[in-house]
Amino acid sequence: MPRFLTDFLQAGMDGLLTGALYALIGMGLALIFGVMRIVNFAHGAFLMVGMYVSWILFDKLQLNPYIGFLASGLFLFAFGWGVYKLLIQPIRDRSDFMQILMTTGIALILVDSIQLKFGADYHQTIIDLTNRPPFGFGPFTLNRAALMSFGIAGVFIVGLQQFVVRSRTGQALRAIAQNREVAPLMGINVTLIQGFSFALGIAMAGLAGGLLLPALYLFPSVGEDYTLKAFVIVVLGGMGSIEGAAIGGLVLGVTESLTSAYLGQQWALAVDFVLFLLVLSLKPSGIFGRQRA
Amino acid sequence: MRSGLRSKATATILIGFSLVLGSVPLLNAQTIKIGVITSLTGSQAAFGEAHKNGYSIALDQINAKGGVLGKKVELDWYDDQSKPDQAVQGVSKLVDQDHVAMLLGAYSSENTKAIIGPVTTHQIPLLIPTATADNVMDSKSPWVFRICAGANAYAKEWIAFLKKNGDPKTMVIVYEKTNFGQANMQAMKEAATAAGISVLATEEYEAKAPDYKAVLRRVKDKNPDVIYFCSYLLDATTLMRQSMEVDLNPKYYTAAGTGFSAAEFPTAKGAGRNAEFTLSVSQWLPEAPWPGSKEFDAEYFKRYNSHPQYHAMQAYQSLMTAVEAINKAKSLDAAKIRDAIKNLNLKTSAFGPIKFDANGQNQHPVIITQVQGGQYKVVYPLDIAQAKPIIPAPKWTQRK
Repeated sequence: MPRFLTDFLQAGMDGLLTGALYALIGMGLALIFGVMRIVNFAHGAFLMVGMYVSWILFDKLQLNPYIGFLASGLFLFAFGWGVYKLLIQPIRDRSDFMQILMTTGIALILVDSIQLKFGADYHQTIIDLTNRPPFGFGPFTLNRAALMSFGIAGVFIVGLQQFVVRSRTGQALRAIAQNREVAPLMGINVTLIQGFSFALGIAMAGLAGGLLLPALYLFPSVGEDYTLKAFVIVVLGGMGSIEGAAIGGLVLGVTESLTSAYLGQQWALAVDFVLFLLVLSLKPSGIFGRQRA
Repeated sequence: MRSGLRSKATATILIGFSLVLGSVPLLNAQTIKIGVITSLTGSQAAFGEAHKNGYSIALDQINAKGGVLGKKVELDWYDDQSKPDQAVQGVSKLVDQDHVAMLLGAYSSENTKAIIGPVTTHQIPLLIPTATADNVMDSKSPWVFRICAGANAYAKEWIAFLKKNGDPKTMVIVYEKTNFGQANMQAMKEAATAAGISVLATEEYEAKAPDYKAVLRRVKDKNPDVIYFCSYLLDATTLMRQSMEVDLNPKYYTAAGTGFSAAEFPTAKGAGRNAEFTLSVSQWLPEAPWPGSKEFDAEYFKRYNSHPQYHAMQAYQSLMTAVEAINKAKSLDAAKIRDAIKNLNLKTSAFGPIKFDANGQNQHPVIITQVQGGQYKVVYPLDIAQAKPIIPAPKWTQRK
């Protein structure tokens, strides 16, 4: 195989591994937006909390992050529900502006509380898997930890998609997304389903945070970039479509990886937003067409 | 009745205020405050901790000998959280509110560069312990003094070492994109080019996004003899792990100190075995041939159960030097302290001789170390070398 092709494929595969986690993050945001029309500016902050949950378990109990991420997901499901009840439900019918202020405020409080409690230090989670030589086949090598995260994320991506399409709760969820006014007339408890989908969306961010832990440095403001990335993913996939968000996540991962490989790592975030602006101005319904969940 | 209560309350508040206000100069009279700005938290907290440990040992030794000018010395800490804007706020806080006699800090080149302006406008002497970017001295501010060697001194020492050890022909420089990395990249690029080593590429990276594999793959494509890293601690450990992953095999892994000479770097908390054979500049080691070096190491080990790296020593010696200057100045007047630092001529100290040139720079020698068997060993200059350098570094596939 010629050199330029192996380089390209290697960068592409690295991008897919990261992209699966992006997909998980983006699906969470899309779910919340689809069902509630709330743009969650605290998504990255919730992801950061997920990372801290998994890191504390690792640091205090030596629990492997590949088990600890489940705790992150569960914790954030409960936490997300609590946040919905206390803070989101009272303003869900108010203007978009109110919701933006509220979620931004939640993000600030989360980041600053974590900094107050755990300090601004950077932490690295070194597990055996990250230090092992990579998995190699032919001319390619793949990081074992990233491969593991990819596999787990894949299960949750398919699981969430199937849940939304097939289960009764999923149907209720989509019904609300389609028509908020008519759904209650069909006997759907809108408040309950909205709380559930908000919690589920946050739990996805928590799971992704747990899975990202071995691959990232941990510090209180680590989530900021991910809030922005989640928006890019959701816009790429068409606002509110969770399948679109899954594909958008993979596209973003590959784009970033190719940018790093050919232009330099410092351009990755800039290219993300060029993509974002291009999609918004040329095809606002997203690359993958459909308008809603 | 009501008005009586109110006047009582007012009186209490007034008395309270006068007590608070009155106590400030009283405290000042008993101790001499020196302000320290460093990164106790944030991405550079590992180095901030080394600073803190070094300063603390110096402080205890100074006060055990009765302090200076007949008063105890007190350190006034300001944590810049590894952020330059916080470091700038630290100058105002320490000088305007706490009225410190002089300042020490910051840790990083980025944060130190940020405080040069405020220090100069506040007209307060600053002693810089660790910032290696040479642009921190560019302002020619009469209030700024630097105890450590800078990026150009690093580059010069590297060229001398490389010429004597295999004379490599090509190099790639990989650097983090703040002041420290950029300044060291620039210094090395100029020195290498002048010495006939061709710099095939310079690769910048964002330290907080820990996926450097694409960068390292591009370096691998260039196949240089030498790779020169300018990195902090977390990125240094990740760079070495990912160098192993992409099977990058230059003959020389070299670095501009910092992360590559942090105490944690060759341990399991850092890069562990991946740190093996990396060469790095250093400014001091416990084995350095200066009186007080070994004693500092022993005291440090006793307190913190680890051996100090040069960052701790530079902090220690900065405070020692500051107190020496205050002693010579016989005053807390900022201009007098500044002039005393300017005229200081310590023939020897635990960090070697200390004398500042016209621009406030201390002439400090640079040494080169290599990680061998999980330990930093001096390999250059030869008169203090503890081991021979192992060159080329074995290929990853041939390492155990």
